[in-house]
Amino acid sequence: MSFLNPLFLLGLGAIAAPIIVHLVRRTKAPRVEFPSLMFVRRVPQRTIRRRQFTNLLLLLMRCLAFLLLVLAFVRPYFGSGQANDAEKERATVILFDDSFSLRFNNRFDQAKKRAATLLDEMRSGERAALVTFGQGFEVQTRLTADRGQLKSSLERLQPGAGGTDYAQALRAAEGLFKDVGAREKRIVLISDFQAIGRNQAEASYRLSRDIKLATIDLGEENTPNLAIADVSLQPLIYQAKYADKLSARIVNYSDEARTGVRVELQLNDHMVEKREIKIDPREATTVEFTGFNLNEGVNRGVIVVEGDNFPYDNKFNFTLRRVQQMKALAIETAGRGRSESFYLRSALTTGENLPFTLDVKTTGTANPNELAQYRVILINDAAVPPALAQSLIKFVEGGGGLILSAGPHTESAAFNQAFQPLPLAKLEEPVQLRGESVSMSDIKTDHPVFEVFRQSGRLSAAHVFGYHRATPNEKAAVIARYDDGSPALIEATHGSGKVLLFTSTFDSSWNDLPLTPTYLPFVRQMARHLGERRERAWNPQGQVFTVAAATDGTPPAVDAPSGERITERKQTPSGELIINAREPGFYRLRYPDASDFAAVNLDSRESDLTRLNVEEFVAGVTGADPKAAAANAAQEKLNSEELEARERWWLWLLLGALFLFVAEAVLARRMKMAKVIG
Amino acid sequence: MFKSLFSRFRETPEGGGTERASAAAAPQAGGTQRFLSPDVLSRITSLELLARTVVEGFISGLHRSPFTGFSTEFAEYRQYMPGDDLRYLDWKLLGRTDRYYIKKYRADTNAQCHILLDASASMRYTTTGITKLQYAQFLGSALAYLANKQQDAVGLIAFDQEVRTHVPALSRSGHMRTIFGRLGQIEAGNETNLSKMLHQAAERITRRGIIVVLSDFYDEPEPLINALQHLRFKGNDVIVFQVLDRNEVDFEFTEPVLLEDAETEEQIHVLPDILGDGYRSTMQEHITQLRDGCARNKIDYELLTTDKPLDHALFSFLAKRARQ
Repeated sequence: MSFLNPLFLLGLGAIAAPIIVHLVRRTKAPRVEFPSLMFVRRVPQRTIRRRQFTNLLLLLMRCLAFLLLVLAFVRPYFGSGQANDAEKERATVILFDDSFSLRFNNRFDQAKKRAATLLDEMRSGERAALVTFGQGFEVQTRLTADRGQLKSSLERLQPGAGGTDYAQALRAAEGLFKDVGAREKRIVLISDFQAIGRNQAEASYRLSRDIKLATIDLGEENTPNLAIADVSLQPLIYQAKYADKLSARIVNYSDEARTGVRVELQLNDHMVEKREIKIDPREATTVEFTGFNLNEGVNRGVIVVEGDNFPYDNKFNFTLRRVQQMKALAIETAGRGRSESFYLRSALTTGENLPFTLDVKTTGTANPNELAQYRVILINDAAVPPALAQSLIKFVEGGGGLILSAGPHTESAAFNQAFQPLPLAKLEEPVQLRGESVSMSDIKTDHPVFEVFRQSGRLSAAHVFGYHRATPNEKAAVIARYDDGSPALIEATHGSGKVLLFTSTFDSSWNDLPLTPTYLPFVRQMARHLGERRERAWNPQGQVFTVAAATDGTPPAVDAPSGERITERKQTPSGELIINAREPGFYRLRYPDASDFAAVNLDSRESDLTRLNVEEFVAGVTGADPKAAAANAAQEKLNSEELEARERWWLWLLLGALFLFVAEAVLARRMKMAKVIG
Repeated sequence: MFKSLFSRFRETPEGGGTERASAAAAPQAGGTQRFLSPDVLSRITSLELLARTVVEGFISGLHRSPFTGFSTEFAEYRQYMPGDDLRYLDWKLLGRTDRYYIKKYRADTNAQCHILLDASASMRYTTTGITKLQYAQFLGSALAYLANKQQDAVGLIAFDQEVRTHVPALSRSGHMRTIFGRLGQIEAGNETNLSKMLHQAAERITRRGIIVVLSDFYDEPEPLINALQHLRFKGNDVIVFQVLDRNEVDFEFTEPVLLEDAETEEQIHVLPDILGDGYRSTMQEHITQLRDGCARNKIDYELLTTDKPLDHALFSFLAKRARQ
């Protein structure tokens, strides 16, 4: 026999009550004088012993009634043989989905109720653990038989803001079973079973054979939802008007077309523009905003969608930063005719919203003491004097960005000597291809310089007729090579700055790159990569992001979107503060002289409430045949019903207690001796 | 009992029984005005005053009572029979008609009335505030007063194990004060043997008359009837008043009790629910045996509970006195 609520066994102390009452209230019958007992004697009287027996019987009935009452509350159940022992030794991990989709339609509260019921139905001695999961997981309570602790943990749970990853959660649960000697190991997965929660990369994942998987499904079919899948924008702006396109991608996660969906752009809590759009079923529509003005500094932007029943994921936060243009310097060899930096100037100064202003100087006019005012310096195939080279190296060490190009004016030996302190490359002899050319075909598209070419691949269309061979330093990285394998673009880090070495020219003397459409983005990306601060318009929830320290090196105080001050003060080696983006919204960064903001957004994939086929999922995870899994589920249900039937002992116990109480009352009334005579 | 009394009243020459019947019915309806309850009487400390209150109040309600000629009033003539007292021969009638007639006056029957009062310990019992002994004292004093009013000689014998008080029957003035005084001094005593004491009384009372026995009659019926027969055998008209407390008849205990015999001090634990029915039936059987035994011996039997007005007893007594 086992008990569902063993704590109620404490109620057995109540049996002491009738015993105490029996002992305390053993009052004597009052003595009454009567004229004559001659008639009393003639009536056969019960003996005192008989009355004592009656009393004892009443006492036993009361004690038994209390015992039955307590047992009814303890809810005993009876198993059979080994199965009973196995139940005693069962260990259960409750995987509790706290992703933000559980906020939909009060699912989270339902999940808590179901989990509480599950805990109530725990066997006596059964251990359970509570693990919440979303994109990641958190062990709330390790395996324990302490139901109070589990319930306390359950009570404290709050809905999260993350996505869903079942495989990771199951791995975590499986990990908890390690070194657990329970005969039966069970995972109960409480979730709304979104299709996106099944990580296809982990489709082959299987639970251990000795672990059973049960599910509590809170999901519903046909749950339409609108969400903002993504917002693309230029986070750094160098002029008042935002001339680029701010694109918001709105997704309709339903099987019906949605019309009249309102999409609104808000800047610094003010509505800027509103649109009404139509979205086809299971399709996305892009809404573009442009031409709005920005304040100096950081601007808080929000895209808001209205028109569904789940407003939690209808906001997308971002920051737009309007800053001063950076200064760039191109140093070239003095010569007659057109400046060799003509193409560079054209590339870096043409168009709107330019991050740079460009100064062009020769090696003779460049003042080594004025380099600090520039963010990026380009040495455009110039023989750099040693003094200037020293200044440039210091410039890099201080965090500046240096781009070197090696052309016909660059002598390898002098170059190597001048820039020897930089862990860049050893420049070797120039290669002049007569009538032939090579292209930059081997590029690292994941590098920021080339990420714009990831899709197009057009950079390989440019022809290079001459270049310097180079042997990269072991600390340097080759991010582009020519067809023959020679390095085309080498990157190195020195001090706080970075250096790029382009082994050909930025004009058309050794290549036709300036004549191709790829030149402008190539040059601009290099300049941006070295000079422009990497700015993120928003950060995904559940990940960490860093914020810069103040000029004096102290990290800012950070307030979460809920207003709560973040007390974790982890920093990177460079002094940046690491923030764990737990909730969506704007994190306020309080610097001594100003405030800044960092935006955090939900994982938009979680907004797709489309359901998983739970049976197939369980079959896939447990490795069982789907039909067998369904049959097992039915069997599990049967078992539950059987279990419930077994647990109905409480009803009979309660009825027994009631019967005993009634019988005791009748008997006590008949005897009138309940409180008399010991 | 009342029915028998009423029928007897109707048989009287004056035929005033109808009025009595209606008067007797009064206690049933609203007797508080007419009859004084024992509870009220208990507040009167003087037995003489109490007796006068009861009897005068009782008589004043009789109106044309058949008992009005009880004093010295002429009642009837009857033919002289050998053995009749010649003092009652109507000589004038004999002179005129030469016939022998006896002139009968009711008042000069000059009967003796003895009140035998059981003063044993069991008479101390009460649940109403008036003990059985007190009730018997009230009744005895009222009867004595009534008898005295009719010129009867009244005597008193109170007893428990032995005769505690004996006032011989006299009809002289001032005797009643003695009766009331002695009656008022009686207190419940010890255990008694009622049959034995009745036998003793039968021997003590030499002149026949009315003997009123006031007791709870806690004795076996057979020796009791024998003792009463003894009284009757002596030529007495015997009236038995069995005085009981209501609780002795109905046994109205609700909780278990430890009963202690008032006379023997024996104790018994009692469960009223279980014992009650048996006790009541046993008590009723005892009463029935007494009543039947009395009826067989032409003894008037009246069961009185201490919550009943005294008038019932007076009716019974007057009816008996009327037969003298």
